[in-house]
Amino acid sequence: MKPTGVLFFPAFDWAITPTHPEREERLLYTRDQLFEEGIMDLPQIREYHPRLASPADIARVHFVVPDLDSHITEAHLVAAGSTLVVADAYMNREIKNAFAIIRPPGHHAMSVSHGNRGFCNINNEAIMIEYMRKKYNIKRVAIIDTDVHHGDGTQEIYYNDPDVLFISFHQDGRTLYPGSGFTSELGGPLAWGTTINIPLLPRTTDEGIHYVIDNLVLPILKEFKPDLIVNSAGQDNHYTDPLADMRFTACGYAILNEKLAPDIAVLEGGYSVETALPYINMGIIMAMAGIDYSNLKEPDYDPGMFIESTKNMNAIEQIVKQQLAVFRHRQDVIEENRRTGPAWFNEYKRIFYDTDYIDEEQKVRISNCPVCSGVRLIDSSAQHRNGRLYDVFCISIPINLCPECHEKGNTIYKDMIKNGKYDLVYLQDRIDDKYLCYDSKTDQEQSY
Amino acid sequence: MLIGIDVGGTYTDGVVFDGDHILSSVKVPTDDNNLLQTLLQVLDELLNSLQNVDQISRIVLSTTLVTNILATGRGERTALVLIPGFGLPHNAYQITTDTFFLNGAIDFRGREIEGLDENEIITLAQQIKKMNFKRVAVVGKFSNRNASQELEIKELFQQIMPEVSIFTGSQVSNQLNFPRRAVTTFYTAMILPEWINFAGQIEAALKSRGLQSEIHILKADGGTMPLHKSLEKPCETVFSGPAASTMGALAITMDTKNSVVVDIGGSTSDLSLMIDGQPLYASRGAEIEGKLTHVESFSLKSVALGGDSPIIYNHETGKVDIAASRLGPAACFNGNAATVTDAFNQFYELGLGDTKRSNNFLGEIAALAQIPINELCDQVISQVFERLETEIKAMFLQWENEPAYRVWEVVNRSPFRLDRIIGIGAAAGIIVPQLARRLGVESVIHAYSPVANALGAAIVRPTMSVQLHIDTQQGICIAQPGGEVESPGNLNNMQMEDARKLAIEILAEQAVQAGLQDYAQDYSIQMEEQFNLIRSYHRSGKIFDVAVQIRPGFIHKYKGVKI
Repeated sequence: MKPTGVLFFPAFDWAITPTHPEREERLLYTRDQLFEEGIMDLPQIREYHPRLASPADIARVHFVVPDLDSHITEAHLVAAGSTLVVADAYMNREIKNAFAIIRPPGHHAMSVSHGNRGFCNINNEAIMIEYMRKKYNIKRVAIIDTDVHHGDGTQEIYYNDPDVLFISFHQDGRTLYPGSGFTSELGGPLAWGTTINIPLLPRTTDEGIHYVIDNLVLPILKEFKPDLIVNSAGQDNHYTDPLADMRFTACGYAILNEKLAPDIAVLEGGYSVETALPYINMGIIMAMAGIDYSNLKEPDYDPGMFIESTKNMNAIEQIVKQQLAVFRHRQDVIEENRRTGPAWFNEYKRIFYDTDYIDEEQKVRISNCPVCSGVRLIDSSAQHRNGRLYDVFCISIPINLCPECHEKGNTIYKDMIKNGKYDLVYLQDRIDDKYLCYDSKTDQEQSY
Repeated sequence: MLIGIDVGGTYTDGVVFDGDHILSSVKVPTDDNNLLQTLLQVLDELLNSLQNVDQISRIVLSTTLVTNILATGRGERTALVLIPGFGLPHNAYQITTDTFFLNGAIDFRGREIEGLDENEIITLAQQIKKMNFKRVAVVGKFSNRNASQELEIKELFQQIMPEVSIFTGSQVSNQLNFPRRAVTTFYTAMILPEWINFAGQIEAALKSRGLQSEIHILKADGGTMPLHKSLEKPCETVFSGPAASTMGALAITMDTKNSVVVDIGGSTSDLSLMIDGQPLYASRGAEIEGKLTHVESFSLKSVALGGDSPIIYNHETGKVDIAASRLGPAACFNGNAATVTDAFNQFYELGLGDTKRSNNFLGEIAALAQIPINELCDQVISQVFERLETEIKAMFLQWENEPAYRVWEVVNRSPFRLDRIIGIGAAAGIIVPQLARRLGVESVIHAYSPVANALGAAIVRPTMSVQLHIDTQQGICIAQPGGEVESPGNLNNMQMEDARKLAIEILAEQAVQAGLQDYAQDYSIQMEEQFNLIRSYHRSGKIFDVAVQIRPGFIHKYKGVKI
């Protein structure tokens, strides 16, 4: 049996601010627990060494405004690069699955990145997935976001991609950051039904979450038949997390990963640094490596501590039923949208960067293509902390677009440069693995 | 004058060193069944070469005794009692058939999270007593942060079975990694009786020869310890032979290049790396009998391929192979089989020993394989290079892939850039220059290469280290070795400078106690980390980990060799 890959990168020399939840201490006790257990010495585990992600790896997913150096630190490049290391090891069949225990996290980072939102600057999972789609020709991907916060960044990146299924369960957006992830968010017109949200009431327990896994997530995965399953593995559903209010346990997380059997799990949030993280991280590794985890528990945990209310269970059953139906009807709805929709689908959005206090405005247009999911255009403006206002235009050509949309995207890039209205014009051409950024002030084009 | 003796697997080497050169050297075959006898034979031959033995200020021995005891199962039967608490299942810690488990648990901050069960301990003690164990190792998870449960068990055991020796994990190591701590403690308990016996015999033997000199034992980390110190941590003497070679290689080069040290012995070749002139450590500790330990050791790779490895013709595959087991010396040195040395001797016309014998024995195998002798030699030599090259590259790769936990470690890591190969051992001069040419680097073969291991043993300085863990919020201040430390001043006001200073003071104090005051000032900071503990957005304490050590190096008098 092949081992489970573990890449532990605690970034002991990086913090957002000294007292921020994303600080040096976050994975200290996880380190202590993993090392003291000696789990890395077991034949079932192989430990990996991080590397830096390249500018092209970042540009494959993000339009970083104004440039990479402005707010992407080396720590971000190492965290993103770590996911690429385990991806390579997985694709080279060195390991049967992998867990990247890394920080800083990424699942709140969206396609356009003006700064840090929800502790995230760049999206580690998306960077890994696009790398794998390009390098290893992976077609269908399922991302299960098990963080307590809605994975709005990952959702936005894949909102219009029918080949990437995004499922997120989380404490519901009326009571927790980022305030999104409602059942009505189901994907763009041509990728409808491949974004599935399960907002849960505060204080939901193991029972409630496992009902969602058993009756919604697993059946959907079975039907979707992904080539790759990624767990966006936040640990803040835990009953001791200081930033959220759920009742999930370390054992609950272990069972979840055993059932889900992700090919790659990537750590996201989780800020109960002493009473949750050491135990959850152990539990996930053990479950993924097939090691008996019955001796694992939090020191203060007693079975029977939390009991799910009938009322909440009824509510969960309702959501599960509704979302399963959505998923099963998705093809019909997409066909209908394609047939009746306009040549371009339009959307207007405002995005708030809580960490960096930036307000972004976006106009998004997606071409209604009869065969593919369409080229995506983002017109974004935001005033940065230094006072500078940036108007940028971004063209995204996902890897699964048809040749016509591919060409259309490239033509629009040239047109927008001539247009001269934007500070920066970006082209993200995943098919040709070509990433360009034109700066109208200097009349220079940068290529990644 | 200094004496260094390295008891190797095939040969035992000894040198007398004075000032900047070797006065005399001795090489005899090692008798595995009587290491002491071999050692004393070498010592006596060295002493006979001297006029006045009073001037010998220090004798350093490197021996394979501990490795041999463990490999042959001669260690004393020992019960291993573990307190694993929560986490991995107990079967992950089934280190030996005599492993027993007790309730109780300590967490990473040194807090007791599950109490001991006194009845359970008493029952186990009675069982162990009944089973006639003379030795017990007691090791708890996180006992490095809080040893109280280990000590309480030890006390209860002692009451019930006063005649049994009890070892605790916290006494052996305070590094994280419970299974490695358990293995190291278990091995220590197993080998100590025989080691004490051996140390006593050596002491008596020196006395009977009228020697007043200091006697040190070489450790796996390339440093020495006084013989009496080895009674506390005998495991540290494993792999001291290869460590002696590495230090010998450093002694004859004394610069800051990146090197691979290739020590080619009779039946094996030992490889180690030097980066910027510093030997590279095994990040996971020494692996003894297939189990990782907390013994600090150089990163070593032993390949079953030496100068005396016999060449055989494999009738099944119809190919020429190099066998693993040594039959005796090379044919050119009056052995009765064609060996790797003979192949090099023939092919490169080295003129070693009786070249006719090389030719004759190689000829027999060439006839079997139905190829010309030169073709046979070429095949053998290619195999030797390929195997060594593969192992060397694997070592580079392993070094490059060491885990990293800080941003700067990842950003500043570069691939291993090899400057040269240093050849050690009698057969190195034959093989290493050609190997270096193949890898496109320079090679170093020194006149002292054949005895560089014994030279290394003779001139290395003592090493020691102190690790200090401070948790201001929990009021914990523990040193290893030493245990709990009284903190100077208020623990809550502790800063990194204070923690570092405290660790250095403890090291200096321990150096003096061990009679190593001359080296107390040669410390360096091995590791330091500090974490602010933030609870509800406020700093509520700090955690410090500091390790200071007297690094491997040479005694003050040593300034290089002249021939």
